[in-house]
Amino acid sequence: MQTFATEAVDWPDTATRLRDQVRDLVAQHGERDPVRRANSWTKPNPAFSRKLGDAGLLGMTWPKEYGGHERSQLERYVVIEELLAAGAPVGAHWIADRQSGPLLLRLGNDRLKRRWVPAIARGEAFACIGLSEPGSGSDLASVRTSARRDGDDWIINGQKVWTTGAHISQFMIALVRSEAGSERQAGLSQFVIPMDAPGVTVKPIIDLTGAHEFNEVFFDDVRLPADALLGVEGEGWKQATAELSLERSGPERYLSSMVLFLELVRYAGTRTDPALQQLVGRLAAEAWTLRLMSASVAAKLARGEDPALEATIVKDLGNSYEQAIPQLVQAAVDFGDADAEVLRAVCFYLLQVSPSFSLRGGTREIIRGIIARGLGLR
Amino acid sequence: MSDTRRMLAEMVDPLFAGMGAAAIVERDLARLEELGLPNLLVPEAEGGFGGSWLDALTVFRLAGYHALGIDLPKLIVKRAAVADTKLSMAFARACQIAGALDAALALSIAYANERQQFGRPLGKFQAVQQSLASFACEAAAANCAAMGAAQALDRGNAEFEVAAAKLRANRAVEMGTSVAHQVHGAIGFTEEYALAPLTRRLWQWRSEFGNDAYWSARLGSKVIARGADRFWRDLSARTDHS
Ligand SMILES: Cc1cc2nc3c(=O)[nH]c(=O)nc-3n(C[C@H](O)[C@H](O)[C@H](O)COP(=O)(O)OP(=O)(O)OC[C@H]3O[C@@H](n4cnc5c(N)ncnc54)[C@H](O)[C@@H]3O)c2cc1C
Repeated sequence: MQTFATEAVDWPDTATRLRDQVRDLVAQHGERDPVRRANSWTKPNPAFSRKLGDAGLLGMTWPKEYGGHERSQLERYVVIEELLAAGAPVGAHWIADRQSGPLLLRLGNDRLKRRWVPAIARGEAFACIGLSEPGSGSDLASVRTSARRDGDDWIINGQKVWTTGAHISQFMIALVRSEAGSERQAGLSQFVIPMDAPGVTVKPIIDLTGAHEFNEVFFDDVRLPADALLGVEGEGWKQATAELSLERSGPERYLSSMVLFLELVRYAGTRTDPALQQLVGRLAAEAWTLRLMSASVAAKLARGEDPALEATIVKDLGNSYEQAIPQLVQAAVDFGDADAEVLRAVCFYLLQVSPSFSLRGGTREIIRGIIARGLGLR
Repeated sequence: MSDTRRMLAEMVDPLFAGMGAAAIVERDLARLEELGLPNLLVPEAEGGFGGSWLDALTVFRLAGYHALGIDLPKLIVKRAAVADTKLSMAFARACQIAGALDAALALSIAYANERQQFGRPLGKFQAVQQSLASFACEAAAANCAAMGAAQALDRGNAEFEVAAAKLRANRAVEMGTSVAHQVHGAIGFTEEYALAPLTRRLWQWRSEFGNDAYWSARLGSKVIARGADRFWRDLSARTDHS
């Protein structure tokens, strides 16, 4: 058996040029403060997103007809790994570019596509994901937010929670119960809900680092036209849980703490400490391995395969890696040193944020359950 | 996988499976010689197989998977006349570790699905599932690392990649051997059962041709000397077409 069939990744010929383009852009418009460069895919900066849009680096793989650039999936991969490795503030558009845009292109009717997709590619429209509810976390099939028909329209009522970026997004793609009395996976549908629709209320939730990234979102008789339904009525579960490989295996699953590793390398360069050398070696080997694994999944996706098990493995290993970095740095470095100031600041920030790495996008336990099923257990 | 490599795998897999851990030089080497396997990396012009490092990965990995009793990888490297034997052997051991981890994982999964306790297969218990999932992640990492090192060796300068691959494979031994034995219970702790030849060699290979401390120090000092601002550039430049 071979759990993770590895194959050579054929990196695009344009990779070097794309990397230079991204590096220039980040040098000019990115973040300087290393703390702000940590976990940068949740850091919104709408102006930076627009710069990427202007440079043709959003919606890269989408049809030109919808504002895309018809580049290859691996070219997009090169761009996003460069952005993340540099700690660029890509939080505003991240979800829209990674999943909402592709979902709309795959399942959306023409009006939805024309309204949202070109705006995402310009870096002007941002999206949020409405899955979790107060009573539905890991057990997503228990969602209760409802959609009921009223003539041709739909009326949405209920509540979503932990919604990242709801306060800066123009629309949400929500999973709701569209058939009264239905249970579990049946009777769910996806809707595209404009955040400025009457009856939508967003309330901030401040996270433990003091940041405002996620929110509660309330729906009080929100009226949507018939064509706000995304895809097929009643197929919401299948639609929402299909094709998760891209979001599980992307470079954001292992690069959230990269800036701390780089600061560790800088710090280690100022002294001769065998323990630090070994730690740097170990973390470098892991980064190299994870990059291969993540890129290998991207290459398979680009060929039209769906390496679901491999993708889930990347998320689990990657999240553990990004979580381990701050713990290992704290254990190895004396923060009393005057020149450890930057390292300490980034480390303490990441110690606080890193618990979320194995919660967001599916918890570690749920992810390992999916891996186990992929291995043929249960 | 290329067609010749697939054919190589199809030839070697049943052969190694048949010989297994009990293979001995006196009896079984002749068969390996007959097939030209010890000359895998000898150039065709010199009468060898003219294989690439990716071909070597296929053979080394399967030697590990079947815990082949003969140290064929060592023989192959010896005849290849490589510049840096330690580096090449570290690569070989990384590939063998990757193969043996996959074999131990396969045994563990099969056993968990078959062995019943409390009226159901072990594999239905979430605690067992979660351990095996973590084991699979480690096995996957070791296999990817070995593949990445093989590709780098075929491109040329592969010191970084081999160091990283051996280190990563070494680290995977810890979780792999402990979960495999835990899932198997007492049966795995017998001489007779198929797990022991795998785990005994995994422990051995972890130490050979550079342990964790050796490769992490070597890798770490290089990365530190290059400096923080070059780390990602170097990493991406290693795989991009120049
Ligand atoms: C930073 C951040 C951003 C987020 N952004 C969004 C967003 O934009 N949109 C959105 O919809 N959601 C978002 N979420 C929510 C996220 O998807 C949920 O936190 C996650 O699905 C877990 O749900 P929960 O928090 O209710 O925990 P619970 O499901 O209550 O789980 C609590 C603990 O119990 C464990 N557990 C639960 N069930 C099982 C089981 N069957 N077996 C074993 N263990 C189990 C879990 O693994 C976890 O450790 C975000 C979360 C975070 C932390």
